[in-house]
Order: sequence, then structure tokens, then C-alpha cells
Amino acid sequence: MGLTQLAFYVFAAVAVGSGVLVILARNPVHSVLWLILAFFSSAGLMVLLGAEFIAMLLVIVYVGAVAVLFLFVVMMLDVDFAELKRGLADYLPVGALVGLVLLVELSLVLGHWALAGAAPESREAVFAIEEGVANTPALGAILYDKYLYMFQAAGLILLVAMIGAIVLTLRHRPNVKRQDVLTQIYRGRDVELKDVEPGQGV
Amino acid sequence: MEHGGAALIAGVGLEAYLAVAAILFVTGIFGIFLNRKNVIVILMSIELMLLAVNINFVAFSAHLGDLVGQVFTLFVLTVAAAEAAIGLAILVCFFRNRGTIDVEDMNMMKG
Amino acid sequence: MNSDFALVVPEILMAAGAMLLLMVGAYGGEERQRNLITWASAGLMALVAAIVATRGGAEATAFGGAFVDDGFARFTKVLILTSSALMLVIGKEYLERRGILRFEYPILIVLATLGMMMMVSSGGLIALYMGLELQSLSLYVVAAFNRDSARSTEAGLKYFVLGALSSGMLLYGASLVYGYSGSTSFSAIAEVIADDGVSLGLTFGLVFICAGLAFKISAVPFHMWTPDVYEGAPTPVTAFFATAPKVAAGALFARALYDGFGNAVADWQQILVFISIASMFLGSIAAIGQSNLKRLLAYSSIGHMGFALVGLAAGTQAGAESLLTYLVIYVIMNIGTFAFILSMERDGKPVVQISDLAGLAETRPAQALALGVLMFSLAGIPPMVGFFAKFFVFKAAVDAGLAPLAVAGAVASVIGAYYYLNIVRVMYLSQAERPLEIRTNLIGQGALGLSALVMAAGWLPIFDGFGLPEMAAAAAQSLLR
Repeated sequence: MGLTQLAFYVFAAVAVGSGVLVILARNPVHSVLWLILAFFSSAGLMVLLGAEFIAMLLVIVYVGAVAVLFLFVVMMLDVDFAELKRGLADYLPVGALVGLVLLVELSLVLGHWALAGAAPESREAVFAIEEGVANTPALGAILYDKYLYMFQAAGLILLVAMIGAIVLTLRHRPNVKRQDVLTQIYRGRDVELKDVEPGQGV
Repeated sequence: MEHGGAALIAGVGLEAYLAVAAILFVTGIFGIFLNRKNVIVILMSIELMLLAVNINFVAFSAHLGDLVGQVFTLFVLTVAAAEAAIGLAILVCFFRNRGTIDVEDMNMMKG
Repeated sequence: MNSDFALVVPEILMAAGAMLLLMVGAYGGEERQRNLITWASAGLMALVAAIVATRGGAEATAFGGAFVDDGFARFTKVLILTSSALMLVIGKEYLERRGILRFEYPILIVLATLGMMMMVSSGGLIALYMGLELQSLSLYVVAAFNRDSARSTEAGLKYFVLGALSSGMLLYGASLVYGYSGSTSFSAIAEVIADDGVSLGLTFGLVFICAGLAFKISAVPFHMWTPDVYEGAPTPVTAFFATAPKVAAGALFARALYDGFGNAVADWQQILVFISIASMFLGSIAAIGQSNLKRLLAYSSIGHMGFALVGLAAGTQAGAESLLTYLVIYVIMNIGTFAFILSMERDGKPVVQISDLAGLAETRPAQALALGVLMFSLAGIPPMVGFFAKFFVFKAAVDAGLAPLAVAGAVASVIGAYYYLNIVRVMYLSQAERPLEIRTNLIGQGALGLSALVMAAGWLPIFDGFGLPEMAAAAAQSLLR
């Protein structure tokens, strides 16, 4: 077994194992940590597939931002996790059965790939992966050009996410004092210096 | 351009990657229906599903020798981040109103 | 590239307008700008609708086929934009009086509408997904917009979880379709199917995509969210959900199936036949036990989407045409009905129970008559326009050899007529302990009156449907190349 194969099996096993533990862990903080591990190993799989840019993005965006956001919310919400531990076993048999059926069906499709696999060979790649061109520049060359429309749409989606998060969670508390730089700068000469005796106050 | 096919997927075949993705996808769906207690874990299950989809896209992209799958993955990643932000914002709102994130407490409306 | 930008001028206007209004709201002081932004958003959508409506020309694509501008897209865009603008204006006063109108609301509606425009113009799976998510993310937020209400946030959370699940399924389907066809653009997928037929992988992808889209259109078995979201969300938001997003989802369904899988009608016809029969019957039967008017309309929308999908299941040009006709008529009926529900009040609080309508015929005969007409139309009783909507989809189904489906639809509509007529019975035959207060303004009254008038008289020989069948036919023709 070559090194690549070994790497694949390690990454795949860790990804699948930690994926299962995300939903089985009793403590949500552990779930988030398993999720991070699943993202990391999947990034490894993407490197094996030659998609380095996606792999790095997965680490930066998912591990760096999304998973941390999850961790933040888990810890911010003051939830009694002992309460949440009950009840998993009730649904396990039915859930396992449904999952198994779905998996068998999907494997039927994937097994069929060998038969149908010849068909796509006849097709031209839209943007072919070329030898000798690194993954990141190749993606950059088409992302801002051929996919400009979708790129702008992605920007709008992020704008909606920003508006949504602010609308739903931002609260202006009347008693909070904030620094207002402009008021400080434009304050006139109405400042008075007082000589305060020690121990007496103003 | 001729298809590199298997040459672009080193070591193991495409099927192995698709199998990993399928298992992760089923785990994600499974997590949504199995988990009756904690909404945060449901949101994480959704992230697992999207991760599985991304593996699928990249594997097909490598197999077909076509970058479109990777571009699609880029957009899926962006949308997934936005989706996580909005989902958690709604969850925080729900928690502020009800003081719980228990799935079984999402029961004000029935019928 | 320049011609590409010329083609997406309406979308650019929407995006730029939304961002401009966001700046006005963020820097202009919330209190004063709320009204201005709401009216400006509605005006922007009306303006863009006018621009789209006056555009002619043959089918054109932009950005490498990701954006399609044809008669079908223009027809549905005008419908989406006008219904969004109308719902924004009709619902404004309600939100204002409950103190939940903030300037972000109209902006999110504009962005959701932009997402819908992208959906109906999509030429491939990536554009489809991006448009769908732009729409869905905005809708999740507006569902939970009344953030201090436990019901509204619960509605938002349920909508989000199930919506994200359906997006995941749609994406998994998209990845399978990409892998087995080698492309994400509808025209290339159609070519592959024409060459090699539908492989098992493509069938699976198609099933997953249909499941994701069925969720967005709230068809059985992916309808679970609809009653709760309709009930929990603020009523103007519910009113919005019942109109524009339904049109967009229906049109997207047609776009994906006809453009991408037009050569594989036999493969998706069975799926759609099942979805539409299940939706029609569940919508009709589950609505009978409801006492909340918003929940009732949720089941009604499930049923109506079932009827609309009958047209799509036909898989012919007449089918697409009847789907479009159905959506237009459905939207007009819902605008009138929700304009009425928004005006229901008792002691200054909104009420939505069916029993609250008791005795309305005596206290408010004009409103009762208008609502009665709309209920008859929703039930599909001739000579109301709602009957013709159902007639066209059934006719398309029979012509496509799906006579059993049309019979099932007829049976379901007879069952469904019961609960619509029950509302009329409550209004005319029950006695109220205390009369319902109707608090409405000129816009709400106008919307109710006009839609009732159109539903009652629209198919008289002098109007003849206002030329709707011809326009729908032209739009459907551009869908089938």
C-alpha cells in the first residue's frame, strides 16, 4: 500500500469517525471539537484530490470562522447540558434503520458508477484542469471572470447574512455608555479644571 | 482535452471518495432526525451534510478533470458560512425568548 | 461582456437599490427613514417590473449561460416583482402599528425578490443554488423578524432547520448530476441526456433535486414547515410567503425540469404525479380541522401547489402554460385574502380565528361579499376565475395522458371546497357575540376589492382573462425550445 493510499484511509477513517461522533457526543462543546476534526481530515482528502485551495479554505473558513462561531454560541447560551443528555436512545433504532436504508441506496448508485463511468469520458471538460498550472491561480483565473455573476451573488448572500445577524441579535441598551469620538473632538472650551483635595472628592 | 480520469485521483478510486461523502451525508441527515434534544447539534449536522457535498464535488471535479466542481464548492462554502451565521442568530433569538434550545420545546404551534 | 451587463440591468438595479436604501437606513436615523425606505423599496420593485415588462426580444443568455433572459423569465419576474411590491405596501401599516417595522424589513424583501429573479433566470445548477439561497436566507430572517415573539422565532428556527436540510439534499443531487453528466449547465445536462439517456446516478440526482425544490414550494411530503411558519411569522410576512416565493419556486421547478431534464420527462413525471396527488389531498383534508385562518391558508397553499404541479407533471407546453396561469390566479386570490386578514382586529389586537368572522355579513357586508367571492374562487367553483385555473391544469394533464391525475385533482378540489365554503357559512349564517373590527386603509380595501372583482368577472366574455392565457402561452413557449 502506497503512502497516498495510506493517507486516504487515515483521513477518510478520521473524517467518518469524527462525523459520527459529532452527532453522538453528549456535550455540544465536544461535538464542535469533533466537527473541527472532521473538517481538518476532509481538508486532507481535498489535498489528495489536488484541490489545495479548497482544502486551505476549508481550514480557514470552517475551522477558523464557522466552528469558532459555533463554539462561541454554545458557550454563550447558558444551557443546562445535563438536561439535554436524555432521550437519544429512544430514537436510535428507527434512526439507524433509516440511515442504513439510505446508505444502501446511495451505495447502489455509487456502485453503478463503474457502468456509467464510460459515458462522461466522451464529454469535454468546461474548464479543464491543466498539467503544470497550480490549483489556486487556475481557480482565480475563472472565478472573477467566468463566474463573476455568481461571485457577486455570493457577496449579496453574505450581505444578507450580515443584515440578518444584526437585525435579529443587536440590541441598543439605553444605559450603555459608548465612546463618541466626534463629540470629544468638537467639544468646546467648556471644560473646567478643578483642584480636588485628596480624600474629599469633588 | 482528454480526460485524465483515474490519473487525477491518486491511489484509490473515485468510488472511495464518494463512499466517504455518502457516509458523511447520511450521518448528517441521521443527526437531524436522531437528535431530539439540542438544536445546535442539528445545525452542526447540516454543516456535515454540506461538507459531504463538497467532498462529492471535488472528487467529481478531479475525476472529470474539470474545475467547475471546485468553483461550485467555493460557492457552497461561502453560502454555508452565511447559513451558519443566520442559523445561529435565529437560535440565539429563540433562546432569549424561551430559555431553552431543546427540540421538544419547539412546540408552541401544533396541528 | 458589455452585452452581458445590459441583460442583467434589472438585477443590478435591484442590488444597487437595496444597498443604497441600506445606507440611507443605517446613516439616516431609523425613525424618519422607515416610511421612506418602505415606499422606495416598493417603488423600486415596481420600476424594475416595468423595465422587465417592456423588454422584448428573443431569448438571450449572459455570463456563459448562467443567466437566461427569455419570455418565461420575464413573465414570472413581472409577477414576482409586482406581488412583492404589493405585499410590502399592504402589510406596512400592520407592522407599523405593532411596532415591528424596521428599515431592514423592506431591504430584506428586496434582496429576497432579487434572489427569486435569479432563480427564474438561472441557466445552470450554480445560478439556481445561489438564487435559491439568496431568497431563502432572506426569508429565514423575515420569518423570525418579530424577534421578541416566541412564536415568530420558533417559526424562523423551524423554517431554517428544514430549509437548510432541503438545501443540503438539493446540493447532494446537484453534485450527483454534475458527476454523472459532467456539467452544471442545464443545456449541457439536456444534451448528455439526449445522447446517453438517464443513468442511475442522474436519476438519483434528479430525485434529490426534486426533493429540495418540493420543500421550497411546500409540497407533500416536504410540507411540514408550512403551517407552523404561516402561523408563527408576522402576518405581513406570511402574506409575502404565500405569494412571490411560491411563484419563484414553481417557476424554478419548471425551469430545472424543462431546461435540464426536458428529455427525461418519463423519469420525473412519476415523482411529480406522486407529489401533486399527495399535496392536493393533504391540503384539502388537513385543512378541515383548522380553526386558525393563517394555518388554514397554509394547508390551502399546500393544496394549491399540488394543483399547480399537476400542470408541470404533464410535461408539455400546455402544462407549463397552465402552471403559469395557475400561479398568476393563485397570487391574485392570495393578495385579496391576506389584505383582508391583515385588517382583522378586536380591541386593537389582531385576530386570526375563523370563528372571529361570525356575523361579518351583517356588520361589514361589502368585505364579507368580497371575501366570499375569493373563497369561492379558491375552492374552484365556476364561474369564478379559480375554476378556470384548475380547469387548465386538468386539461393539460388529460391531454398528456394523465387522466387519473386529473380525476384525483377533481376529487381533491371537491373535498377542499368544504372548508372554503365553511368560511362563507360562518360569515353569513353564524351570529357573533361581538362584531369584528375591520381596520383597513385605502390600499388594503383596494387590494381586496380589486382581487375579488377580478376573480368574479375575469373570465366574462368581455374580459376573457385579460389576455392572460396568451401571455402564459408565449412565456411557456420560450421555455420549451
